[in-house]
Amino acid sequence: MSNLSVKPFTTYGKRVAKWVFNTLPSMELKNGRVLNAVKWAGQHISSPQNRVILGATALMSQPFIDLHNRNVDDETRKVSAARTVAKILAGTTTGFFVRYYAIKAVDFFTLKPDKTIRTVKSLLFPRGVNTTIKGMQQYKLALGTFISLGVMMFTNFAIDAPLTKVLTNMFVKKIKEHERKKVDNSIMTNPIPTVSNDKEKPKNNTYIHRPSMDSFISRKEAK
Amino acid sequence: MSNPKAAFSLLGKIYEAYHKDAGKMLIHTGVISWMLSSAAQIAGIIMNDKIPKEQKMFLIPQEFADACFNILSFYVVTRSCTAMVDKMIISGKWLPSNVKNHLIKNGFKDRIGKFEFNILKETKLTGRPKRSFELFQNGMGVIASTLGSIFSCNIITPLSRNMYASRRQQENIAKMNNPNPALLNPQNNRDRARAVIHNTYMQAFMNRGNLKV
Repeated sequence: MSNLSVKPFTTYGKRVAKWVFNTLPSMELKNGRVLNAVKWAGQHISSPQNRVILGATALMSQPFIDLHNRNVDDETRKVSAARTVAKILAGTTTGFFVRYYAIKAVDFFTLKPDKTIRTVKSLLFPRGVNTTIKGMQQYKLALGTFISLGVMMFTNFAIDAPLTKVLTNMFVKKIKEHERKKVDNSIMTNPIPTVSNDKEKPKNNTYIHRPSMDSFISRKEAK
Repeated sequence: MSNPKAAFSLLGKIYEAYHKDAGKMLIHTGVISWMLSSAAQIAGIIMNDKIPKEQKMFLIPQEFADACFNILSFYVVTRSCTAMVDKMIISGKWLPSNVKNHLIKNGFKDRIGKFEFNILKETKLTGRPKRSFELFQNGMGVIASTLGSIFSCNIITPLSRNMYASRRQQENIAKMNNPNPALLNPQNNRDRARAVIHNTYMQAFMNRGNLKV
């Protein structure tokens, strides 16, 4: 029984993962355009741009997922979709600006100080450590995110939530107005039809004259 | 720590902690920011008088689930996605042609693309191939994390949160229509405590709450 331990299973799992990995096809990138696009993404897409990309793709997917949620009633579905759109718009706008300006601020205040004089521009430069260019890049990213988190603690409650509320109410109002107009238009274009003497309801609001069964029988009897 | 003075400097501490890898800090702060955002949005829904309580019963659990599923799917999907792409590049499965040619010339032909192979540790890339490899690795990392985030935050999270919130809404409406008799007329301390929690929880959905903007 002592031989039955978890270790053999993990080693088998590793062997399987290794085998799957080694059998995967290799890819060699030769196309200059693709390589340039990959390099461009690495150099130009950072936290603020990432927020915008996520916001744009969220607008393309989340409201539709909410509108097709069949587990809730029609009204809840619409309010939910309206709130999702409002939240994405408010969150993306504030998120982008907070991240962008936090990183700009960190960039501005992390100038390497002179040996004797410390200026305002070197306010956020780390003290007492040996810095490298690569290390400073990571430090700036970390500090920028810290600062944006601090700012977002304030903006989430002061800007995001109230703006989402205002936009949600606005969108719900628009949806209701649109629906009311739709109903009014359908009444105007398709007026309530007059009921014929034959007690038969017309289809698609168009009057079709069909003789009643009584008149058909009476004609037959007259013959 | 290279200098004892750094112990007294917060900025120095931040540099020491994150100058090698800012990724771990991004994850921790990301989790905190999702939770904060969700808390703010829930407060916003509670204080919105124009939303009927039946819809609040859906929107509040939806917002709560949004943060939970975002964190969960980020760890499960986005991190796995970035880790997998990183492994593909470091092992040499995916490489730009100039880096691959350089490695073949240096006698790594049989090792490229193997699970155990690590370009950063085993080869000493210098000059143009090194720069090319770093740019490729960085770019692919950004693309993988962006695509992983799009898939997890914009597809998995909304589907899961809607399923959870719909179920919660149905349960809450059922509770509201058929209240538990033990909570209406509590006989013991346990039921009294449950009644207080229940009433406070249900108050969040009411339009006549004390919280006003």
